[in-house]
Amino acid sequence: MIQLENLVKIYQTTQGPIHSLDGVNLAVKPGEFTVVHGRSGSGKTTLLLTLGGMLRPSAGRVTVDGQDVYAASQRERAQFRARKIGFVFQMYHLVPYLNVLENVLLAGKPEPGGVRLARARELLTQLGLETRLPHKPEELSAGERQRTAIARALLPQPKLVLADEPTGNLDPESEAEVFRHLAEFHRQGGTVIVATHGPAADEFADRIIELHAGGIKP
Amino acid sequence: MSALTLIFKEIVHRKLNAWLSLLAIMTVVTLGVAFFTTAEASRRETTRITRDIGFNLRIIPQNTDLDTFWAAGFSDQTMGEDTLQRLTGHTNVFLSYNHLVASLQQKFLLGGKEVILTGLSPAITAPAQRKQPMGYQIKSGTVLLGYQVAQRLRLKKGDPLELNRERFLVERCLSESGTDDDIRVFGLLSDVQRVLNLRGRINEIKAIDCLCLTADQNPLKILRAELAQVLPEAKVFQLRALADARARQRQMSEKYFAFLLPFLLIVGAALVGLFAALNVRQRRVEIGVLRALGHGSAMIATLVLGKAVLLGLLGAGLGYGIGSALACVVGPDIFPVTAQGIKAEPRLLGWALVAAPAFAAMASFIPAMLAVTQDPARALQEE
Repeated sequence: MIQLENLVKIYQTTQGPIHSLDGVNLAVKPGEFTVVHGRSGSGKTTLLLTLGGMLRPSAGRVTVDGQDVYAASQRERAQFRARKIGFVFQMYHLVPYLNVLENVLLAGKPEPGGVRLARARELLTQLGLETRLPHKPEELSAGERQRTAIARALLPQPKLVLADEPTGNLDPESEAEVFRHLAEFHRQGGTVIVATHGPAADEFADRIIELHAGGIKP
Repeated sequence: MSALTLIFKEIVHRKLNAWLSLLAIMTVVTLGVAFFTTAEASRRETTRITRDIGFNLRIIPQNTDLDTFWAAGFSDQTMGEDTLQRLTGHTNVFLSYNHLVASLQQKFLLGGKEVILTGLSPAITAPAQRKQPMGYQIKSGTVLLGYQVAQRLRLKKGDPLELNRERFLVERCLSESGTDDDIRVFGLLSDVQRVLNLRGRINEIKAIDCLCLTADQNPLKILRAELAQVLPEAKVFQLRALADARARQRQMSEKYFAFLLPFLLIVGAALVGLFAALNVRQRRVEIGVLRALGHGSAMIATLVLGKAVLLGLLGAGLGYGIGSALACVVGPDIFPVTAQGIKAEPRLLGWALVAAPAFAAMASFIPAMLAVTQDPARALQEE
């Protein structure tokens, strides 16, 4: 269970404070596919980063499986992300000097007996990238890059995938494919929270919420 | 994926940054190695020149009448030979005195004219320095003849010479020196003591001062204070012109090195730090992603510092090679006095391999901390 209680995030700028999240309350059940809609600047990215233990809120509480994420130390939060969270970003954020397989293997902790390597290859095969393993990100299409990023997010077998505009740079065909893969993870029991502009993810959603001016629109 | 693999791949990917960092490290090592190689050569040459110049300290019996001493060129008083052992056995004496030789000098009638019969003991040097002793190495039963003595008596190497009914072999005839050495006959101290019937006695200890201070720094005050503690029955004189020449040469090179080295280190560290900081800035998103994937501060710091260490090792190897070549090829033109002594110093490679990575890591410390403390969320949001 993921619980957000009175979550507030204020950015201090030279033009004055910006309330990116302004008292957000949200509960996400395990195995739920949640789609978060909202315009640019509505706080979608801030919400996901805060949820993932990457961005300390100005006020409020984030609990995952009953554990207060920001009560933990930085080291514990890093371990929490490594074990439980998979991030997918709009700009993919693949490491440019690593090939597809190496980028995927950046995630998760080493496991004995080559288990992780085998799982990475399997994931990449499932995502249709089995012929692209030695290729660098610059040699891939946008869709392939995002599928690589999904494989990287799924490698540590997280409980939760946070996807921030994962199809923002993709054509409709690739967009549908990305959501199909996220839906597959959801079908196997994973929790997915997707922040997106478009309606393409709605068909997979258990729940759709709309962020507006830092709060959830009723 | 190991940090080392990531570092290697990043270096290959961002070649320009790596090359510039390597160049900065290599420049520091190159100049440092060239500098120390030349300095070492200079030190060797200084030693050689000093040896050529000769002893610059004279320790004579305290009760010597100085008018007689300066008129005769040696003391008419004697002291026990054990004074040399007492002096060299004293703690820290070699910090001020080195190459100590006991001597006994007396005028002696030879072939109807006076010569200065001079007995010399083997030189005693600082135990740890392993320096080749200065002065003549005289074997028992042999003598070295000053130029004038050899000319007058028409003696040459291998000829016999009788001194006070004792027979000696001429080991060498010295070339003309233009000093009173030309009328000296040098023998082993114990032989001369026997000839002069002054067993166990000496009238001078010659030495080289190790303080390397110029006259205005008053080294004689220090030397006399030390001698007063150990040998109250003796006093010391310093041949100032010789001592000053040596001290000036050594101090000048040390001053150059003292000025250049910090300058070199500061500029090098600033450049290495700057390139590391630029690299960290370039990798902000990558660092943010690694954070998002659950990698901790240790991993992030390792990527920055590990790269610095790796480039430091590479810079040390290349810098040593180039620096040594530079010193050997260009050095003789710049430092003509030192030219003969310039040669590669292999032990500098060991130092470079330790110092350069440490130096690069220290210079990259602030950028590493910036990488560790940067807000990953902000980097990911900005992109």
